[in-house]
This record gives sequence, structure tokens and C-alpha cells, in this order.
Amino acid sequence: MNASFLPSLPFHLSFALLFGVLLVAGMLGGELARYFRVPRIVGYVLVGFIFGPLASAMGLALLIDEARIFVELALGLVLFDLGRRMDVKWMRRDWTLAVTGMVQSAITFAAVFYTLLAFDLPTIQAGIAAAIAMTTSPAVLLLIVHDTHAEGQVTERALNIAALNGLLASIIVTILLGSTHYVARTDIEAAILHPLYLFGGSLLLGAAMAWSGRVIARAVERDREVHFTLVAGLVVAGVGLAQELKLPVILALLAFGLFSRNDERGYELLNVNLAPVGRLLYIVLFVITGASMPLPMLFAGGAAAIAYVLARFAGIMAGVLMVAPLGGLRLKQTVGLGLALLPMSSIALLLQHDIARLYPAFERDLSAVVLGAVIVMEVVGPLAVQWGLKLAGETVPEETEAPEAQRAA
Amino acid sequence: MPLEFARSELLTFGVELELMVLNTRDYNLARGAADILPRLAKLGLPGEVKPEITESMIEINSAVNKSYDGLRRELAQVRDAIVATAERLNLAVAGGGSHPFHRWHERRIYPTERFKRVSALYGYLAKQFTVFGQHIHVGVTSGDDAVYLTHRLAPYIPHFIALSASSPFYQGEETSFETSRLHAVSAFPLSGHMPAVDSWDEFNGFFDEMQGYGIVESMKDFYWDIRPKPEYGTIEVRICDTPLTVERAAQIAAYVQTLCAHLLRVRRTEPVAPMYRVYGYNRFQACRFGFDGNLVDPYTRGPNRLREDLLAALTRIAPDAEAMGTREALAALDKLAKTEMNDTKWLRERYAETKSLNDVVRMQSERWCTE
Repeated sequence: MNASFLPSLPFHLSFALLFGVLLVAGMLGGELARYFRVPRIVGYVLVGFIFGPLASAMGLALLIDEARIFVELALGLVLFDLGRRMDVKWMRRDWTLAVTGMVQSAITFAAVFYTLLAFDLPTIQAGIAAAIAMTTSPAVLLLIVHDTHAEGQVTERALNIAALNGLLASIIVTILLGSTHYVARTDIEAAILHPLYLFGGSLLLGAAMAWSGRVIARAVERDREVHFTLVAGLVVAGVGLAQELKLPVILALLAFGLFSRNDERGYELLNVNLAPVGRLLYIVLFVITGASMPLPMLFAGGAAAIAYVLARFAGIMAGVLMVAPLGGLRLKQTVGLGLALLPMSSIALLLQHDIARLYPAFERDLSAVVLGAVIVMEVVGPLAVQWGLKLAGETVPEETEAPEAQRAA
Repeated sequence: MPLEFARSELLTFGVELELMVLNTRDYNLARGAADILPRLAKLGLPGEVKPEITESMIEINSAVNKSYDGLRRELAQVRDAIVATAERLNLAVAGGGSHPFHRWHERRIYPTERFKRVSALYGYLAKQFTVFGQHIHVGVTSGDDAVYLTHRLAPYIPHFIALSASSPFYQGEETSFETSRLHAVSAFPLSGHMPAVDSWDEFNGFFDEMQGYGIVESMKDFYWDIRPKPEYGTIEVRICDTPLTVERAAQIAAYVQTLCAHLLRVRRTEPVAPMYRVYGYNRFQACRFGFDGNLVDPYTRGPNRLREDLLAALTRIAPDAEAMGTREALAALDKLAKTEMNDTKWLRERYAETKSLNDVVRMQSERWCTE
């Protein structure tokens, strides 16, 4: 009898199976985290931490690397959402908002930069690592805002500043990358043209996506579900286009989000809630982020990684405490804002990844430091955001109405 | 302890306006009262701006005004200050009796002792009470006059409803009502109208009885459409939706003030009982059909179209309007009744145009900021 209709062992872990397994495992981790009153993200990441070594032991490491497409899609969605939340008009009306972001970024950059120099690391590498330190993970921030239903000044300001920081960091990294061409003496023209292409190209792509969104939106019914499909489709296509054009997904999708804000134009594109599709991608994002994290780096980074984390914390807090109160934030709100800006995750990872690919020297000197810091922040960051938003009074209060209170007039 | 009725200057008036606090992203209600209020307190505005039951509401309390013109200017000044403060926080404010699409369970109780107690007592009604009304106070010199006016203004309640109606949408749905807000009020056990007492003494007897039962602690516990407000020495008309503009709010206040002047001049003596028998019906007609509602007049026993009833009243009080300096305001309301372009109609037109309630709220917020 020919038994070829039976499956052959061992199983081949296809994308579909991988995606499904990551999703369910991540969800279970998240619910376990909830049980311990810890943000779900911590659970997702911890599942990843376990899944990573397990996968490489089973010879599946390559597949995880290929699953990066999920990561990029998820990040594309996150950045698009963040861009939609960034409000340039608000920054013009309340100068303290943008200035808080800039001062805090500058101090963080300086603090981390000089700390790393003190560890005898090369200038450009230290600069790139310091620029990475400026970023706040929008994925962590957005997901915790969503999970805790946080709402208010601190939440809105944190999201705006996170967008601004991401933008500033991308610009600095792009410029520093240009200078690596210069240092490597490969090509002087590339030193100028490459950053220009990355930056201008991303903006153009973002603008083009937003424009096509509007054009299509005008042709279809103003219906939430229709617009949802339109936006989700464009985000996915935008990620694909950015990859094809060798543009940074982060910058391109942030620009897309920013340009599709309804401020200036005819309000054609509805502001649809992407959370339903977001949740699935977020889970996979964090599990894969955890899985692709080389845990031994935590120790390889050593003292420099710890110094990096501390300098970054000090820089963010100092910057926020200096400027935010001028905008009328109370002390609890100010501290809450600082804490909400702490998470460091996928963007840092992606920047690090891109840089390491283009510039192997970075890999050698600094990956351990940055990755070590990211591993720490993957766990500490979500806790800090949750705590900060709670401190600011913006998460949903736990309603514990005692039965006797209900009759008292 | 009998309630002491504070005397205030006759026919002075003021308004309370409850406003929506909105985000500027999708124009849903937003938590913002706690951030707006301390900033406003520093500006030294006339009157006061206060919190309300949930964190997405603020309430303007105007100062005591003598003239329509003064009230109008004051409201515009306070409006501008609130708009400027909210803008810096990336928030928007708007008039309108209900938020067209918010979900009541997402609201959060403003953390003061009183609001927490109300929430504990009334359960979901407290959050459902995130609706936005205009209250109009008119000063009287005695408790007896307050009782008299509370009764005699009752037949005009349908007018106030039709003129101020601005809540056709509720929880994301078209309600087919001119105002949906009043249903949120009707759910409370002490809503409705004052009982048929004849004097302040008699009212005090009623109040003592209710207090004796432990049903109420203070006048605040009565959610009547019109009630005497002894601490201020006023009667308070609480039936109106917050209009979409301060202009309209001032005009409606002027109408109430002028009606009071008229009713104090031409003392009515008909028995009040028949009037309260048709009260609920007339109120419903106004809520549902606005200017097209059918009113029953228990004294003439005839049905009467609300629009004609209103226009007749405006003509009747024209001499008083002359004396009070409210002619311009009443002329605007006269035009409103004839064109039937009330705020509810405006909101429905915007929705027909945009097919999006988010856009409707954005436009009503823009209108509040400028008109």
C-alpha cells in the first residue's frame, strides 16, 4: 500500500502554523501576566524569551528570522497609528509639548553619549547608540494605553512625544549612518545622498500613501468597515513598498500616519480604530521580539548596558521634569509622563538591526550594550508605563463599590 | 428647619451651561475637566466654571446679570477663555444636549465626594447622566413668588424644549426625538415637577415631610424641570438642552426672564391642577416633535400647535420685552420658530451631509467656538 497520503515526520513548521502557535502561546503568556497584575506585554515577551532558545534548539531559527515580515507589518501599523496621534497643531499651540520632547531627547542623547564615551567606546558608535536611546517604544505605549483605557493629558503627550522622539532619532541615525560612509571612505556622495534618499523618500512615500487613501476614500461609501479595510490594506502595502524601495519602514509609516491626520484636508478618510487587527499583530510582534533577543547579551553588555539604562532613565526624567511643568502639568502627571516615555523595544531593535547590517563595526562594539539594555527594558518598560499612567490618574479606576455604599443616600 | 428663601434682586438672571469636553482626534468625549478647570481658575473670569458628574463635562455658571446684553457679552467672554484653555490641552468643547455617539459606560465619575455618592446611589444612571443642559435662574424677592412662578412657567416648558433642542442623536443612533437628553433626566426618582403647593410655607411643609422620610437632604435632590432655589433667591428652569451657541443660550434665558416679568405683572389665578394633568403629554410632544408638537391647553380645552402657541406668547410679552431690553433676543426666537431652524435640525442636516457623527461633533464644536 502506498502511504504517501500520510504526513511525513518531522513536521515542517510552516508560516501558518508558526503564526498560529505564536499567537496562542503569546495570548496564554499575556493572560498569565494579567493574573500577576503585570501588563500583558511582559507575558508576550517572556513567552518569546522561552520560545527563542527552544526554536533554535529545534533548528527553527531561520524561520523566526523570516517571520520578521510579521514584525515589520506590526511595526508599520504601530507607527501609522502613532503618526495619526501626532498633532503638529497642538505643538504649535502649546510650545511646552514639543520642547519637552526635544529637551528630553537632547539630555538623554547627551547623558547616554558621554556615559558610553566614558566606557571607551568609539564616538560614532556611541552617537548611534545614544540616538537609539532617545526612542520610546510606541508599541508598548499604545498597547498599554489600549489595555488600561488610559486617557488624558499624560497619555496624549506621551504619544506625541514618542512620535517626535522617533522622528528625531531616525533623523540622527540616518545622518550618522551617512557619516559612516564618510568614515569608511567608501563614497563621499553616498554620505550625503543616502541619508537624503532615506529621509526624503520616506516622506514622499508617506505622503503618496495618504494621498491615495484620500482618493480611494472619496470614491467609496463613508462607512467604518469599508474605511477600515482601506486603511489596513494601505498600511500593509506601505510596509511592502518601503521594503521594496529600501526605505526605513519606521519613517515611512510614521509619515503616512501623520499625513493622513484629518487636520488640514477635507476629512475624507475616517479615523478608524485599528485595534482589532492590531491586537493579533502586536502579540506576534512581542513574542518574536522576545524570541529574537539573544538572552546571553544581557550579560555580555555588562556594566556598560546597565550604565546605558541608567543614563537613559536619568536623561528622560531630567528633561521631562525641567520642561513639562511649564505646560501646567502637576508633579504626578510630570513623573507619569517621564515613566510613560521609558519603554524601549522594537524600534530600538529595528534601528539596531538596520545599522548592524549596514555597518558591521557597530555590531561588534555596541550591539551587546544596546541589546542588553533592550532586554532589560522589555520587562521594565511596560511596568513603568502602566505605573506612570496610573500615577497620573489616567487609567480606568478599579471600581470597587462596596454593597453598603449603594444604599447610602 | 424651614428653608430660608434668600431675597435677590427682582428679575436679575443668570445661566448654567453644561458643556462637552472632547478630544480633537475623533471628537469623542474626553477626560479633561480636571485639567481645564485649574487653568481657568487663574484667569479671574466672571462667574465660575465647575466640574459636573463625569470627567468629560464642565459647567459655566454665569455671574448675576441684569440685562440680556450683559449676559450675552459675559458668556462670549467666558466661552473664549474656555476655548483658548482647552486648545492648549488639545481638547475641544461644544454645546449640544447629548454627545451623539459616546458610550455611557466609558465615562468616569468626577472624583468629588458628592459625585461619588450620587454614583454609588444611582448606579449606571449617574454615568448615563452625561448629558448637557442649560439651567436658567431668575431672581425673585420672596418664596411665595418663587412658588407662583414655578407653577406658572410650567405651561411654557414645551417652548423651552423646542427652542433649545439639540440632542437628536444618542449613543450613536438617530432617536427621532428633537431632544433625547430629557430621558436621562426622567429616569431619576425625584424628577418631574413641583407638587401643587400654593405658598412658600406650604412648600416648606412638603420639604420637611420629604426630609423626614429621609428621601431628600437638600433642594439639590429634586431633579424637577423647574424648581425654587432658596439659597440663591431664584427660580431655576432646568429643562433646556445646552444650545449649540452662547447666543442662543442668552436668547432663551432672555425669554425666560421676560416671561417672569410678564407673569409677575399679569398675575394668573387659574387652578394649577388641570395644567399638571396635561404636563407630561405636552412635554413629550415637544421632545418628540418640537415646533410641530400638539399642545393641550386645559383652560381653553383646545389643541394648539406648539409653534403658534410660542409665537402667540412672544407677541403677548412684547411690552415686557420692551421694558426688559430683550426685544432683540425675542425677535431672534420668533424667527427661529418661523423658520424652524433649531439646533436639532442643524445637527440632522450636518449628518445628512457628512454621514459621520464624528464630523457632526467637530462641526458643532467649531460652531460653539465662533458664534
